[in-house]
Formats: sequence, C-alpha cells, structure tokens
Amino acid sequence: MALPILALAFLALGRFSVEGGLFSRMLPVALTETGLLLLFVGVFTAIVGLMSAWLVSSFEFPGRKLFQWAFILPLAIPTYISAYAWVEVMEFTGPIQTTIRAVTGAKTIREYWFPDIRSLEGAAIVMSLVLYPYVYLSCRAFFLMQSGALVAASRALGANAWRTFFAIILPLSRPALIVGVTLALMEVLNDVGAVEFFGVNSITKIVYTTWLNRSNLPGAAQLALTAILLIGTLIWLEQYARRRRDYLTRRDSRVPPSLIKLSMPVGLLVTAFCAGVVFLGFGVPVLELLSTSINRVMRGALRPAIWPAFINTIMLAAGGALLCVSIGYFTARKMINRDGRGGWSFLATFGYAVPGTILAIGILVPLGFLDGLINDGTRAIWGVTVGLILSGSPIAILYAYTVRFLTVSHNNIEAAMKKRGLNLLDASHILGANKWRTLIEIDLPTLRPALVAAMTLVFVECIKELPATLLLRPIGLETLSTFVYAEASIENFEAAAVPALLIVLIALVPAILGGRLQGNHS
Amino acid sequence: MKRTLILAALGAASFGATNVQAEEVNIYSLRQPELLAPLTAAFEEKTGIKTNVLFVKDGVVDRVASEGENSPADVVMTVDIGRLDAAKQAGIWQPIPQDITADVPANFVEPDGAWVALTARARVFYVSKDRVDAENLSYADLASDEWAGRVCTRSGQHAYSIGLVASQIAHNGEEATKEWLEGVRDNLARKPTGNDRAQVQAIYSGECDLAIGNTYYMGKMLTNDAEPEQKEWAASVRLVYPDAEQSKTHVNISGVVLAKHAPNEDAAKQFIDFLLSDEAQAIYAETNFEFPIMPGVEASDLVQSWGELKADSLPLAEIADKRDEASKLVDEVKFDEGPQN
Repeated sequence: MALPILALAFLALGRFSVEGGLFSRMLPVALTETGLLLLFVGVFTAIVGLMSAWLVSSFEFPGRKLFQWAFILPLAIPTYISAYAWVEVMEFTGPIQTTIRAVTGAKTIREYWFPDIRSLEGAAIVMSLVLYPYVYLSCRAFFLMQSGALVAASRALGANAWRTFFAIILPLSRPALIVGVTLALMEVLNDVGAVEFFGVNSITKIVYTTWLNRSNLPGAAQLALTAILLIGTLIWLEQYARRRRDYLTRRDSRVPPSLIKLSMPVGLLVTAFCAGVVFLGFGVPVLELLSTSINRVMRGALRPAIWPAFINTIMLAAGGALLCVSIGYFTARKMINRDGRGGWSFLATFGYAVPGTILAIGILVPLGFLDGLINDGTRAIWGVTVGLILSGSPIAILYAYTVRFLTVSHNNIEAAMKKRGLNLLDASHILGANKWRTLIEIDLPTLRPALVAAMTLVFVECIKELPATLLLRPIGLETLSTFVYAEASIENFEAAAVPALLIVLIALVPAILGGRLQGNHS
Repeated sequence: MKRTLILAALGAASFGATNVQAEEVNIYSLRQPELLAPLTAAFEEKTGIKTNVLFVKDGVVDRVASEGENSPADVVMTVDIGRLDAAKQAGIWQPIPQDITADVPANFVEPDGAWVALTARARVFYVSKDRVDAENLSYADLASDEWAGRVCTRSGQHAYSIGLVASQIAHNGEEATKEWLEGVRDNLARKPTGNDRAQVQAIYSGECDLAIGNTYYMGKMLTNDAEPEQKEWAASVRLVYPDAEQSKTHVNISGVVLAKHAPNEDAAKQFIDFLLSDEAQAIYAETNFEFPIMPGVEASDLVQSWGELKADSLPLAEIADKRDEASKLVDEVKFDEGPQN
C-alpha cells in the first residue's frame, strides 16, 4: 500500500536540483492559504458535526429520528459538485442575486454588496457543508457506545446541559472528533476541483503548476511529499499527545444514554438548526442539480452512454469497498495484536491525503514497470505479448481506491476491535474452535456494524472519486464521475447535472442504509 | 488528389503489414469526447476504421510514458503548445511522416515531426459594449492606468495565460514582462478566478470592463442553447484582437502526437492525415469556432464577423521555451493573489 508513496519519493529524487524559488516563494503562500482553509474547515466541521451528533443523541426534539440519518446526506455529494452548484446559486446570474436586483432595481454588481463565493471563505464553507458528516458519524458512533453513566452523574451533581457538554462530552469525545476532522481535512487536501473553482492558491495548485507548467514532476513530487509530511506530523503529534489516555469507557455499565426532552421553543430552535444544516449541505446542491437535470431530460438530451457508466461505477465501487474492508480487517487485526502503532501502516494512511492525480502517477509508474517485466517474461517464455494487464485494466483503479481509502476502513474496524476486546476470541479458542470457525462465527459477526459502516463509507468514497479514476481507467471505460468531468470541463454544466445527480443517488442508498444499520446495532 | 493517393498508399501498406488486426485507432485525448465526436464519426465513415477515445486530462503524457512499449495509445491529442512540447520532451512520439504534413505552414509543425497543430485559437480581449469605446488595444494597455480596477482574467498559472506571458517574454524580455505583469496585476478588478466564460460573465455583471479570453468561447456562448443566459453575457461584450496593428495577436494551438509505440501505426497516420484534411478542418471551424490551420480552409462566418486575425508570427517553439520562465514570473509577482495596492 505504501508503494505509490515510495514511487513518489523515488520520483522526487529524480532531479535533485531543488528549485530554490519554488520552495521559498510559493510554498509559504500555498501553506498559508491551505492552512487557513484547513483551519476553517476543521473548526467548522468540528462544531457542526459535534453539535449535530450531540443533539440527536442527547435530546428529544421534533424530527430527531429523521435528522439522525438526514445529517449523513451531504456525504453523498462530492466536493466538486457541491462547489459547482453553489457557484450557480450565488453568482451574479444566480437566483439570489437576480432577486436582489429585481427588488432593488440595481443593474450591476457595483451598486450593491454581495459576498463573493469564489474565495477562500466561500471554499471553506461550501466544503465544510458536505464534509461535516465525517465528524457527525464518528461522534455519533461514539455517543451511542458511550455509557450514560457519566452524563447521569454529571446531571445528578446539578450540572446543566451546557456544563455537561463542555466538562464531560467535549473532552471525552476528543478522539472521535479528531478522527472525523482528520478525515474531513484529508478530503480537503486531495481535492483539486473545488479549490480550482474557488480560486484558492492551495498547495495542490502549486503541485500542479510545478508538474504541468514547468514540466517538473520531481519538483511536484517533492512538494506533495512535503505536504504529506506536514499532515503526518500533525496526526502523529495528536496521537502522541494522548498516548497514555484511555478514553473508552467500558460498555459493561449498562446505562443507556437517556434523552432529555426539550421544551417546545428550544426544541423547535434545535429542529430549525438541524434542518438548516441539512438544507445547506444537501438541499441546495440537490435542488440545483434537479432543476437542471429535469430541464435536460425534458429536452430528451440524455446520452445513452450514461448507463454503462452507471454499471461501471457501481462495480468499481463495490470492488473497492470489498478490497478495503478485507485488507482493513487484516491491518486492524495486526495493529491490535501487536498493540502498537506500526510505522508502515501509518505510511499507508497517507494515501488519503495525496492529491488524486499525483497518487495516480505514483501508481502508474510502478504498475507500468511491472507490466513491462510481465510482457518481457511472457514474450521470452511463450512468445506472447499480453499487454497492460495491470496499468491498463480496472486493477489500476481498484489499487488506487485501496490506497486512497484503506484508512477509512482500517480506522473504523480497528476502533471496533479495540472496543470489543479480545476476550470473546480467547473464549472461542479455549472452547476448541479453530481459527476459521472463530473468524466466521465470532469475530466477523461481532464486528458487523463496523464492517458495514466501513464498507458503506468506502463505497461512497469510491463513487465520488474523480482524479485517479480519470487518469487510470482503461480505454473505453467510463464512470459517472468521469462523465461529469468530461461535460463540466467543456463547461457543459447542464449535461453534467444528470450523471452528477446519479452519483448522489447511488451514494445515498448505502449512506442511509449504513447509517440505519449502525444506529440499530449500537 | 495527392491526399487520396497518400490514403491509398497507406491503406495498401496496412494490408501488407504482417500483424493484421481489426482496424482501429486508439486516441488519448485531452479534448473532450463531445468535441471529437463529429470528427471521429466522419473518419469512421470514410475509412471504416474504428476509433476508441480515452478522455484524459492532466497526466496523459506521464501515462503514455509509463505504459512504455505496451501502450495501446496510437495518437495523443492535446491543447496548448506547452503540453505538446512536454510530449516531445518526454519522448513519447515518433515522427509524423512529412508527406502528411507537407502542406502545413512551417510554424504549425514541429521540425522533427514530434507534433502537428490542428487548430489555432487567439488570446483576445472581451470588452464591454457599453463602457469601452476603444477599437485598437494592445496587450501593453492592460498595464496602463486607464484600466485600473477594470481587468478580469483567469489564473495566471493556467496554460493559456502562461502561453501569453511566455510570448511577451519572447518579444520584450523578462524584465519588461515582469513590469508589465505587475501592472496588469494591479489593474485587476478581482483576484484571478474562474474560467474564460466566467470573465465574460463578470463584464456582464459590471464587475469589470475588459477580460482576457480565447476566441472560440465567444462562438460557444453565442450559440449556447442549453444555457441561453450565456447568450446574454456574450451579447454584452465585443471582441478585440490585441496588437492587431502590429500583427502580434497571441495564438496558441491544439495538436496531435503520433505515439512512439503506436500499435496501429498505419491507422494512426490515416487519422492524422484526415484531421488535416479540408473536411476535418471545416468541422473544427464550424463546430468549435477555432481557426483552421490549413491554408484554404476558412474560419466560420461567425468567427470572421469579429474581424481579421493578424497572428503573431513568433515561432511556437520559442513560446514553449519560455513557459518555465513565465510560470516562475507569474509566481514571483504573485499574480494570482490579485492587486497589491
């Protein structure tokens, strides 16, 4: 799994004449803008994600059951699609500004003030609105597994809801919060489409500039690795800081978290907040896509090629999800058994933070090399050329998905294993069950919620993935995301809306199912 | 006639090849399938050769390079002289036979045959019909005080911007270009963002009075039935060819490379030959509003109505050479961070 990163490191060494100017001039700018973006998104997703998880798991208010899963909905929307939809809504010719002009009689934008969506702040808000579910999911899972004892104790001691939140809930949920925020931030780092759309001078942008405008792939690899190292250091520092704490209260105190019933005005306020979050994160982009799609379908301009792309998308995502969950199970198992933090698997998690196209290059180079060896071999032995069986087939895409999203499945499964402990497995062994029987009858069933959650998340991620799929797919294979991109890049947004909506629809099914399963089992 | 003979010869040659396969040609393309569709359809009908298109964006050169001798790519189609030059530098090409490119103007074919241009597009000004009267403008004007707070453009690091800056370096030297670029930066109405169409929209919205953009967008917006609002944007601007008086309007190209390890070499050569034919050049002109590069094929009526293009005769190779410098200069003056004062 670390192979692409190593390949990038190898590429980075390719031309060791580090461009002085590159690092001293642009890196500070890029780091500042990327840092600000990460800070905004981190704070925003943490607040919204934690608040929403806390609200649905601690209070009774109108629509609570609905919001429990509705909060997950924005996860189905890729950042680049959300970015496009929001720009359509907020720009000069969009519905809001058009209304303002109709009401005020203004003709040009110089006559009134309106926030510019194409800005760092715009990017941060729009991305946060679809990324907060990562925090919501991890925090909610945590709250559901959390014993109600501590909260009950806090309340018995006379602390009100706010005090309980700041003194008990917030410190306790730190690990879950960090997991969620980290996922959201890595998503920001590998995004290419949205930051370009919003004109943010992110680190991704200078990686691309260096690579494409200066034909300097080694320099680009150096920059990408620098960024990864920075992120890696941050994660490591965080883990180091809480290395000796055990946050996980055991589940054996069977006190279920009890719900506090909110009074009517407060309850309605909470409902409004929840509805607002879901509307902005999910409602706005989907309504925009829907209105354009309906227009498109009415004009009968649907391209038939969309259906094979639909099937391909599902097959590839299912393959990616299966691979990630199987491998994630074994890596998590290794971590638990050794009770340590293996350096190499830590390296593997970096895949999640590498800009997709750069990661794809890191995959192409070793796979292309292997293909060369294989073909040399088959030619020497059988006199046959088998072609690009690795880099020219869906294997390359599945490999990319695994490298990108293994972290997601690994983290979920490892957390569940830790929580469950090894007692059950030991008992099974003592009773004479062999390891296969233990695996099938004890291990996997007890991990089911986590496995389902992991599979769901990875599946959704794979459907949304664009840059690696675009560069690695074999000739003739299209997915919905490559379809969207092809249309959007000739600025044919209307044609892009239908496949974009399909992406959202497919991603919705597992997102909702997974959310429900997780709820039922915990 | 000559072309028919070549085609016949190529056809005969392909029959003589030892490894006879179902005839097809694999196209790795930076150009979107929809733009290519009319061309590939015409080619298939004419020759019976099947076309397979893989639409790839950034990294297409790296992909072909890493696939090495097993690569299925026959031709690589891309836009921007810089990317064509990158393909040349990466060594993923084999010479396009001179008989195919014999009629192509010298500036539009790489001397060794590493690539041949297919279309040209000019980097021009879109100005507000209401607020701008000037008829003759030059790239130098962008830096003059008259345009303070009135100019819009996409990112300085976009390939099209880099091409323009590189051409200015080639003409005026690095020092003067730097000064010019700083002047343009300080005249910007807003931080560079969005694509070329978004700049035209910004004129429509009153945010700026002059935008830099490629010619064909005008045609695409004026004929956009899917999003009719774009017709309104385009109707609010008129197109000015900068430096027309000195015949120095900056032109960039789209082009094609014959892949080094093309498995269907003969079909690939036929395809390139077809792309340079009057028929294909006319399709480019009419459907995509680009300038045909072959002498004798006219630009579309709509494009001609915007005036006469007097293209810069600066060799494209020189622009390619200056790209690295241009990209560094754009960073150095922090162009993408917008006005500094």
